[in-house]
Amino acid sequence: MRCISGRIVEAYIGEYASGKSEVAVNRALLLAARGRRVNLVDLDIVEPCYTLRPLKKKLAEMGINVVAWETREMMGLGETGSIFYPANRWALRFPGDVILDIGYGVEGAKTLNLVEGAATDPDLKIFAVVNIGRPMTGSVQEIVEYVRSLGRVDGLINNSHLGDETTVEFVQDGARMVDEAARQLGVPVVATTVLEELARVIGTRDAAGHPVWPIKRFMPHALW
Amino acid sequence: MPDKPIEGEKRVFMTGNEVVAWAALAAGAEIMYGYPITPQNEIMHYWTRLAPRYGREFLQTEDELSAGFTTCGGVLAGRKAFTATAGPGNTLMQEPMSMAEAMRLPTVVVIQQRGGPSTATVIYSQQEVTMTTLGGNGEGLRIVYSTANHQELFDYTIKAFNTAWKYRFPTFILGDGYQAKMRESLTIYDPDIRGIELVQAEPFLGKPGVPGVDRPPTQLRNTYNVEEELYEVLEGYFKDYEKIAPEVAEHEAFGLEDAELVVVSHGVVSRACKAAVKELREEGVRVGYFRPITLRPLPVKALRETAEKVGKFLVVESAQGQLARLLKEAAFGCPVEMLELFKPGVGITAEDVVSRVKEITG
Repeated sequence: MRCISGRIVEAYIGEYASGKSEVAVNRALLLAARGRRVNLVDLDIVEPCYTLRPLKKKLAEMGINVVAWETREMMGLGETGSIFYPANRWALRFPGDVILDIGYGVEGAKTLNLVEGAATDPDLKIFAVVNIGRPMTGSVQEIVEYVRSLGRVDGLINNSHLGDETTVEFVQDGARMVDEAARQLGVPVVATTVLEELARVIGTRDAAGHPVWPIKRFMPHALW
Repeated sequence: MPDKPIEGEKRVFMTGNEVVAWAALAAGAEIMYGYPITPQNEIMHYWTRLAPRYGREFLQTEDELSAGFTTCGGVLAGRKAFTATAGPGNTLMQEPMSMAEAMRLPTVVVIQQRGGPSTATVIYSQQEVTMTTLGGNGEGLRIVYSTANHQELFDYTIKAFNTAWKYRFPTFILGDGYQAKMRESLTIYDPDIRGIELVQAEPFLGKPGVPGVDRPPTQLRNTYNVEEELYEVLEGYFKDYEKIAPEVAEHEAFGLEDAELVVVSHGVVSRACKAAVKELREEGVRVGYFRPITLRPLPVKALRETAEKVGKFLVVESAQGQLARLLKEAAFGCPVEMLELFKPGVGITAEDVVSRVKEITG
């Protein structure tokens, strides 16, 4: 039995540009703000240039242990492939909470296989991040089919948005669609993630009754 | 199988590469040929995920030479065919696209520029302007649209297929790594509901009727026996190109009426220039904005009119003067001074442009 102060281990997977990194960064910051020891692990080995590294220093200053390459340590981003950051293999052995930012799609989800103990870790939860503004996951049916393709998923995150044009209605449409998709998939909805200013309007629960996690946008600073 | 990839219209949030795949579907593209290279890979990824749903096809070739030539082959068979590449892949693509110029094949090629020379960086640049506009052996008988945002990537990819099949010149969409990977909202739509009529593809061979009797014979050549034969064919092509150039050329501009200095840029850099010019004009600086949307053919008339009346052009690009070189040729003889802000392979911000303009205007 786990107590409330137990270790939190979450892996964020999902469609390309669904908001995995944004959600992971915000989740890590939220936990760190509660005084928890947090490791944020970049497991995108397809295009690691896109993920957490540009934010590494800033996040470290905010008390998070970011486990990722420094951009200048890398050779030939992109098609030349990249070397798995050695410490990532042991990510689940780090003391404290572990937030894993995973590469996109089915192949991205498989990256978890590279982490020692991923198949047996009792605390690990794998959450699929969904944005209905992404055409490949724009309907309940598409979300269900897409999430089924990912393998093991323990919960869904509604991260529906349209960048700067996001409205409360759009987020709530996402909340309802993701709720229905989760029912069909037989997994829980973990939360709706939404920009702080809109979260204030929505309140603590979304249209489907799931928790609202307010987020800040960090990824615009992570462009390549 | 659903009939249409996009019903009506829809506001979406996407990366630029996905936008291209959706636009090609909407444009009725039937087959993509491709070889992977960053930063255009997701065009292929999304095309291969979407194409089977709508009865479209894909062939991965062994390299970009082959991707270019198979695209030519697809077009010769009467299919709306396209490919996408970047950097050194674009270099290889120049040989097949020269053949497309020689045979007037309506190929569509999407370029997401990366750093050069050679494999350099996978990230971003505007260093493929010279190659994409004039890179083949021959005379550059092609059309190049330089997009600046995701909406334009969608609009102009659809347009590129129409332009190519209407005028029968190889047509390029010139994007870049930033546009490829950036996430932005846009409206995707069924071209029908916007009144965009898609030009139909048709086979080059096997047309009905007896050649030479019912119709002129189809002569598809990229090799000629003697100089005069080639000369005669090219003279015809130049006439055609000259005739269509004013119809095809596009640009956007503002603030030219009172400008003493005009900032000229293209593609993603024009976003920074637009923001900078707006900011400077609010401060009372007499600066204008000019952006060629077609880099080949350039909007020569509008450019020369502007170059005749303003004293200075500030050419801003993420390359060492590749746009500037085209502009100098287009504005030859006009009394305009060409100043520069060149950052080859590096992004340019509105702040960079503002400070360069202030340095000039004092």
